Amino acid sequence: MTRRRLRFSGLFQKYFLVLFLAVVIPLATNGVSEAWFGYRDQRTTLDQLLGVEARSAAAKIQGFLDGITNQLGSLVQLPWTEEPDEQRRIEALRLLRQLPAIVSLTLVDGAGRERLYVSRIGLNRTESRANRSENEAVAGARSSRLWYGEVRYYRDSEPYLTIAIAGNRPSVGVVLAEVNLKLIWDVISAIKVGETGHAFVLDAPGRLVAHPDISLVLRGADEATLAPFRAIREVIRRAGEDVATSWDGQGEAVAAAASPVAGPDWTVVVEQPLSEAYGPIYAALWRTAGLLLAGAALAGLLAYVLASRMTEPIRRLEEGTERIGAGQFDHRIHIATGDELQRLADSFNTMAAELAISQERQERIAKLKRFLAPQVAELVDRKGDGVLEGRRTEVVAVFCDLRGFTAFSARATPDEVMSVLSEYYEALGRIITKYAATLTSFSGDGMMVLVNAPVPVEDPAVHAVDLAMEMQQCVQELVVGWRARGHRIGFGVGLAIGLATVGPIGYESRFDYTAIGTVVNLAARLCASAADREILADVAIAEAVNGKRAMIPLGMRSIKGYDEELPVYGIPFEERRHTA
Amino acid sequence: MRRRDILTAIGGAAASTLPLRAQPLAVPLIGYIGPESPEPFTSRLKAFREGLGESGFTESRNVAIEYRWAQGQYDRLPSLAADLASRKPAVIVAAGGAPAALAAKAATSRITIVFEMGGDPVALGVVDSLSRPGGNLTGVSSLSVEVSRKRLEFMHELLPSATEFAVLANPTSPTVDSQLKNLHAAADALGVRLHVLSTSDEREFEAMFSSVSQLRAGGLVFTSDPYFAFRSQRLAALATRYRVPAITQSRDFPIAGGLMSYGGDFTQSHRRAGLYTGRILSGEKPADLPVQLVTKVEMFVNLKAAGTLGVTLPPSLISSADVVIE
Repeated sequence: MTRRRLRFSGLFQKYFLVLFLAVVIPLATNGVSEAWFGYRDQRTTLDQLLGVEARSAAAKIQGFLDGITNQLGSLVQLPWTEEPDEQRRIEALRLLRQLPAIVSLTLVDGAGRERLYVSRIGLNRTESRANRSENEAVAGARSSRLWYGEVRYYRDSEPYLTIAIAGNRPSVGVVLAEVNLKLIWDVISAIKVGETGHAFVLDAPGRLVAHPDISLVLRGADEATLAPFRAIREVIRRAGEDVATSWDGQGEAVAAAASPVAGPDWTVVVEQPLSEAYGPIYAALWRTAGLLLAGAALAGLLAYVLASRMTEPIRRLEEGTERIGAGQFDHRIHIATGDELQRLADSFNTMAAELAISQERQERIAKLKRFLAPQVAELVDRKGDGVLEGRRTEVVAVFCDLRGFTAFSARATPDEVMSVLSEYYEALGRIITKYAATLTSFSGDGMMVLVNAPVPVEDPAVHAVDLAMEMQQCVQELVVGWRARGHRIGFGVGLAIGLATVGPIGYESRFDYTAIGTVVNLAARLCASAADREILADVAIAEAVNGKRAMIPLGMRSIKGYDEELPVYGIPFEERRHTA
Repeated sequence: MRRRDILTAIGGAAASTLPLRAQPLAVPLIGYIGPESPEPFTSRLKAFREGLGESGFTESRNVAIEYRWAQGQYDRLPSLAADLASRKPAVIVAAGGAPAALAAKAATSRITIVFEMGGDPVALGVVDSLSRPGGNLTGVSSLSVEVSRKRLEFMHELLPSATEFAVLANPTSPTVDSQLKNLHAAADALGVRLHVLSTSDEREFEAMFSSVSQLRAGGLVFTSDPYFAFRSQRLAALATRYRVPAITQSRDFPIAGGLMSYGGDFTQSHRRAGLYTGRILSGEKPADLPVQLVTKVEMFVNLKAAGTLGVTLPPSLISSADVVIE
């Protein structure tokens, strides 16, 4: 039972696994490859997107600086005279008001002398005529028209930048502007990359110029604060074409891109949290995972159902064969799958039916054998009960009995009698079976045997003669033994051939197969007149075996029950010599 | 039986969460200390609440504010600050000048303080440095104190022929010395003389204006001081009555009929103080938040007042003015 269960589950598992994997593997392969390509596409898109954002942000920062330099240009349009230039002073004050980022303006004439200084905080100066030609900003503007200084931190906190612009002629002089870069905050805080991304600006040495969180900028040249920003810029530089990913100051993973601001040699970096940048990828991944799970569940269900449907008939077959094997031949395996399994079940059913018939036959034979010679039983079984039906046919009736048995049985002990009879019947029974003869009746020491009915034999007369001869030979051997024990017993046989009515006689539960006719009487009489060691046959036998077996005519004898004398023949037989 | 057990368990769980929900600590508390009364602070409180709102906090919704007002008596500030600190708020906001900030700093070294003031917080000993304030303080400073000399310059520009100017200082202000030093240096550069008048009591204002009008001073320059700034209405009325051209730090002065103002934009500084307060409430450390300087310095001029005083505003002043009140 346990083994059967194991074998069953094993097959189920195999089917289940194969079916399940057949669905899940292509599904998973498709899902994973789709996710991977989606990821690649999104990375490319993200890189392009961030690149555009970075250029746009750089353009805005550039715009902030251009807004200042364009306005400053108006202060270096006209050449300076030796007189104070009130108009230009008013223009400078107006600029100071209009551009809140500018903290102070210094105007230098063509000779490098300071002509005007206006400030929000400090006192203004007019016509100080101090020599500023050595100032690097003045020198820088004179050589390149537009000059940007380095970012400095006022009191280690506020970032400042000096911008100097020279006019197109030396005589118009140079204007120097101190710009408080904190004011870029308005620009930088307005730049949004996606929902939560932002931009920041680093100068060439990697100091923070602008960031939406002004407190980071105000920390000044604080290495710990600047390190993550520099790291992002470095990652972007190394990433090249691919999208750069790094960690910001809060340890959040970000995707970033950069774009330069040409004038002051700054870098604008835009960054977007990866969680947002890859939002569509993550959504797609979750979707794919969900579909995969649903697909796997469905595949599992399908595989379960299919595997059950495949193993169920096999299980039924198994159960059916077991029951049939156990002898339950009326069991039928019901499989209606319309395939080989059904065919197999059908042939099992056919086999069971045949087995049932076969068994029935065996049982019947076993029953018949108790009354009939095995050959008769087989015949009955083969040809049906019909062979036993009453008919008229040529038979050989063989009678035999022991001589002197009555006297012996009266003298001997019952054990002795039974022993003699047992040996006697055992020997004769074997011979009867051998010759396919039918023992129709026996009583005491005598018996009647039929040849050629119901089992027909070839040349029944010869057959019966051989039978009689072998009987004599066997019994005579026994007789030697019996005589040695002091029992005076002999054995005689009589046989006759002729037509007789054969068939079963008796009642419901007790039938004997027997023959009725004169041939039976004749044979009985011949037996009765046969002496020990004698086989007597009638004339019909003698005619039938003429030339085939030796016959000794014994002349005419008067037979009891017959009016006239009848010719009787003796059949000689060779006694077996025993050394015993 | 079983179901009843589960119901009992759920009931028990619900009951155990109830007292938690009733906890009032869910809303953080801000202690706000101001040197004046709520009325002159209205516009500043509005800016402060705006800043707080920008960082995600709204009063009476997810933050509670407890106010302490010195009603102009600056010597009450230390006791008010100590009282506030004893309430153990999440953060103390000391707005409206250095005195409030210093009082709060003296009251606690544990509770974070966000200040709003006009002077240099390093020079006044409030913080160690602007970029790394250290300790439990950070905040916002406008440039009002630094630009006192600019006020003298503008007054000189308005009245270029005048050689003497009056300066009004508050002797109790912690920044008074540095401001007067700056002003004298500026006076030397401009070639003018200063008459320094001192008061820390508004009852002396009238006498002060009266004496300025007696002097041959061209105009009156106010030093930066919250005490004066919060009394702009009264000062404007007095300036008009005594026909004194005057310049103060607060825009409230020309708006109320005074002549000119030049000083830091207090709406910006209060708004940023609100922002910083919100960030502190969100868990940031004051040491990570550098002190902010409000760079915006604004100039207001009142043309009507100029007309009444009989002075003409030169084009350079008009160009410089951020707002010209017609």
